[in-house]
Amino acid sequence: MTIKIQNQTFILHHFGAIFWQEKSILLVSDVHFGKVSHFRKHGIAIPMEAILENFKRMDTLINDFKPQTIIFLGDLFHSTINNEWDLFMNWAKTVPQEIILVKGNHDILTDNHFEEIDIKVVPKLVIDSFILTHHPLEVSTLYNFCGHIHPGIKLKAKGKQFLNIPCFFRKPNQMILPAFGEFTGNFYLKPTNKDLVYGITPEKVIEITLQ
Amino acid sequence: MNNKELFKIAENWFSEQNWKPFPFQKHTWKAFLQGKNGLLNAPTGSGKTYALWFPIILSYIKENPEYKTKHKSGLKAIWITPLRALSVEIKQAAEKLASDLGTQLTVGIRSGDTSASERARQKKKMPDLLITTPESLQLLLATKDYSKIFANCNAIVVDEWHELLGTKRGVQMELALSRLKTINPKVLIWGISATIGNLELAQEVLLGTYQNTLKNSVLIKASINKKITVKSIIPEKIETYPWRGHMGLHLIDEVAQIIRNSRTTLIFTNTRSQCELWFQTLLDKYPEFAGDMAMHHGSIARETRTWVENAIRNEDLKVVVCTSSLDLGVDFAPVETIVQVGGPKGVARFLQRAGRSGHQPGKESVIYFLATHAMELIEASALKKAAANTIVEDRVPYLDSYDVLIQYLNTLAVSDGFFPADIFKEVKTTFCYQNLTPEKWQWILNFITQGSQSLQHYDEYKKVEIEENGLFKINSRKIAMQHRMQIGTIVGDAVLHVKFLKGSYIGSIEEWFISKLERGDTFIFAGKKLEFFAIKDMKVLVRKANIKKAAKTVSWMGGRMTFSAQMSQLLREELYLLEKNINSIEAKALQPIFIRQKKESIVPNSNQFLIETFKTREGFHAVFYPFEGRFVHEALASVLSYRISLLSPITFSLAYNDYGFELLSDQEIDIQAVLDNDLFSTSYIHDDLQKSLNATEMARRKFRDIAVISGLVFTGMPGKPIKTKHLQSGSQLLFEVFRDYEPENLLLKQAYIETFEHQMEEGRLIQALERIATQDIILKNCGKPTPFSFPIITDRLREKLSSETLADRIAKMTASYLRE
Repeated sequence: MTIKIQNQTFILHHFGAIFWQEKSILLVSDVHFGKVSHFRKHGIAIPMEAILENFKRMDTLINDFKPQTIIFLGDLFHSTINNEWDLFMNWAKTVPQEIILVKGNHDILTDNHFEEIDIKVVPKLVIDSFILTHHPLEVSTLYNFCGHIHPGIKLKAKGKQFLNIPCFFRKPNQMILPAFGEFTGNFYLKPTNKDLVYGITPEKVIEITLQ
Repeated sequence: MNNKELFKIAENWFSEQNWKPFPFQKHTWKAFLQGKNGLLNAPTGSGKTYALWFPIILSYIKENPEYKTKHKSGLKAIWITPLRALSVEIKQAAEKLASDLGTQLTVGIRSGDTSASERARQKKKMPDLLITTPESLQLLLATKDYSKIFANCNAIVVDEWHELLGTKRGVQMELALSRLKTINPKVLIWGISATIGNLELAQEVLLGTYQNTLKNSVLIKASINKKITVKSIIPEKIETYPWRGHMGLHLIDEVAQIIRNSRTTLIFTNTRSQCELWFQTLLDKYPEFAGDMAMHHGSIARETRTWVENAIRNEDLKVVVCTSSLDLGVDFAPVETIVQVGGPKGVARFLQRAGRSGHQPGKESVIYFLATHAMELIEASALKKAAANTIVEDRVPYLDSYDVLIQYLNTLAVSDGFFPADIFKEVKTTFCYQNLTPEKWQWILNFITQGSQSLQHYDEYKKVEIEENGLFKINSRKIAMQHRMQIGTIVGDAVLHVKFLKGSYIGSIEEWFISKLERGDTFIFAGKKLEFFAIKDMKVLVRKANIKKAAKTVSWMGGRMTFSAQMSQLLREELYLLEKNINSIEAKALQPIFIRQKKESIVPNSNQFLIETFKTREGFHAVFYPFEGRFVHEALASVLSYRISLLSPITFSLAYNDYGFELLSDQEIDIQAVLDNDLFSTSYIHDDLQKSLNATEMARRKFRDIAVISGLVFTGMPGKPIKTKHLQSGSQLLFEVFRDYEPENLLLKQAYIETFEHQMEEGRLIQALERIATQDIILKNCGKPTPFSFPIITDRLREKLSSETLADRIAKMTASYLRE
């Protein structure tokens, strides 16, 4: 699904990523690499195969969009150093694109870990009239792209039908990205009549009718 | 001392109390002293504690002739009770006996309420007779050198075994017994059970498949016949009976009259919220009861509950509104009358509650049944029959509960470690795991040591380690502590303690209710109007609210109960009879409803299977009436909607109660197509049920408990702040991850099997379909909802099933705006 914000073109992908066409930037938020290994290290047997899915999805996106830059909007690596970090380093080395991390609350590794593998770490990033952060900004004169809250939406229809899905949540001056990572929960938001909501299904992104 | 002399001691004691031992008590003494295991079938208040404490103490006397002067310390017997509230009373009985008989035996309690210092003292020197819960017994198995504690434990009594049987706590018990039998091969195992339909099986499950234990055992029945009278509470104006409305408050004046006419009355409600509401309304309408009434349910502080229990015993109270929290144990002589509000759903439970009254021998028990809506009057009538003919249900034991086994193996690994070959042999002797294969055993060992079935080089999974000599052991202190905390966790919603700002503790409450409150909101809890202040450190801080402020009543999720097979059959028979025979008061009360029902539809007879369709603002309804009980209806609704969804893409919302089920859709449902395509067929039923399960969320919900028990979801200590938040994840997410990446995982499979066998009851489903096949299908297109359909279509707890794509469904759906 393609949308326009301030005359710029953004493609919303059902993996929960956004491709900014004019700048050739891939925006991804809340991947939470390392989380599965973190659990396993503490005796909780989450299937290991779940680790690899995030890498596969990243590769798919990079192949499809061929971006020049990849920007992670925080919560990239959700743990202290564990063996999944090695997997991540190996993956990052195979990616020729520039990678930038806007630091999130779960990114507890020190910046030099990322810098060693050529990932630039910043607290926030301003590109033209857009500002990229991990936490949603309360007030800003710039348009804010952010993550952190793992937005989801509750839907209903006739016949007592209900459904909860993750979504992109667009406010007049802000776009909140869904969590990219598998094995992360949603926080359900209620839109106002100024908001737009794009729901995620396994095949595509759909704009939600608000009522 | 020979057995005859020992008997004399017991009989002398009885005559000193001016009592006479019952035959069942004597039988039990004899069997026990002959070294037999057994199951004693005796109701509460019949003197069952004396049936077993006596021979335990007598056999100590037999082996220690100098028992009056010399005291041999060390644990000699364990008494397991499923409810720690009951332990004080059991302890008092044991202490009295031990001292009256001149022994120096000590008695102690070990449960979640026991202080850390007391537990440490016990660890150094165990009491001779220990009263404990299944969880606390597991925790003892998780302590270092536990085998020394149990080395001379010669008897284990499992009280209220019927309550444990058919639950995973029962499986925990089976495993613990298998261990204790090896530690001390001489140990005698006894169970005490109320009447259930399958007592012989209960005995087998308790004693295990280990040949000698079972062979050397007896089943003793107390056969105390008690007259039970069931009366329906019917309003004077029966035309006004509500079609639904599960609170029953419209009959509060009739109940007040009953309370006035009786010494002490217990009012049983089915949920804690109903309990709160009844208490509050009684107090508002009849302030004269104020000093003489109390409330008792599982979320109220233990001190308050104990106070209430004592007050009942001392006849200080006129009426107590309660829930199943007063079902077990505790003898209340002054209780004269029982009121049951709403359907009790099971005959055994109903009879047990009836038995709470008229405890003195020879007295009859009176129980009033208050039907909260018209259809429940049929239930009232069926229960009368059941009481007259003593029809009771079976309790179905669990098989192959991998989650409990994983928990147990971790427990053994935490304490002294274990060698798999030894433990496999023991586990195989339990009823639950009698069919455990070496392959599945290996799967479980891999799961606890590797967290998977194949080793990956980058994996850092750490839980149970295999030491050089082959010992399976947990060495990480952190993981060990995490596991110990997990053992006692009750599976349920996160629970928070409610406290006054000034500090005193009121009770505990489910987190989801509190999450809906904002500061300043008023709610009723434990009979008090409280104002919500804040949540701090897992505690809900409140203060007394202004009496005049409108309040929300706390509601609890609680399990929804279903009719047993026996109850369903009784209910069907009763319905068919009531339609013809208008002599009973229930039938008379039902007439106005039946007349309304017949305006648009019919009251089915035994040859008819009724299906109603109608349209409302909500969509298209199809309501089916098999009268088979809620669980069978869940399965039927699931299979039927699945089969319909194969004909064309459609989405259903499903609702059920004990009478029937509803399929609701935004599209019209073609019932003729259902009949033409023979969708009630029993062929491929297993397959279709399995597939429909994937389409609904039932297995997903079962997985929640499994994930908690097997340690996949870490809940922390109840009431204590969770310091391990970084290890928390939802069981919903886990379910999806397992389904997508490890579909062969045994715990995931267990979720499906449990849904099938414990919830769906596939066997009953097939019988129901076979019965429907012999009936004439009556399809009624109604202009509006009928009285029969009303309680079902207004139920908000629903399941969904869809064959449309997510995208197609979303296209039809909307999200509502925030109200600003």
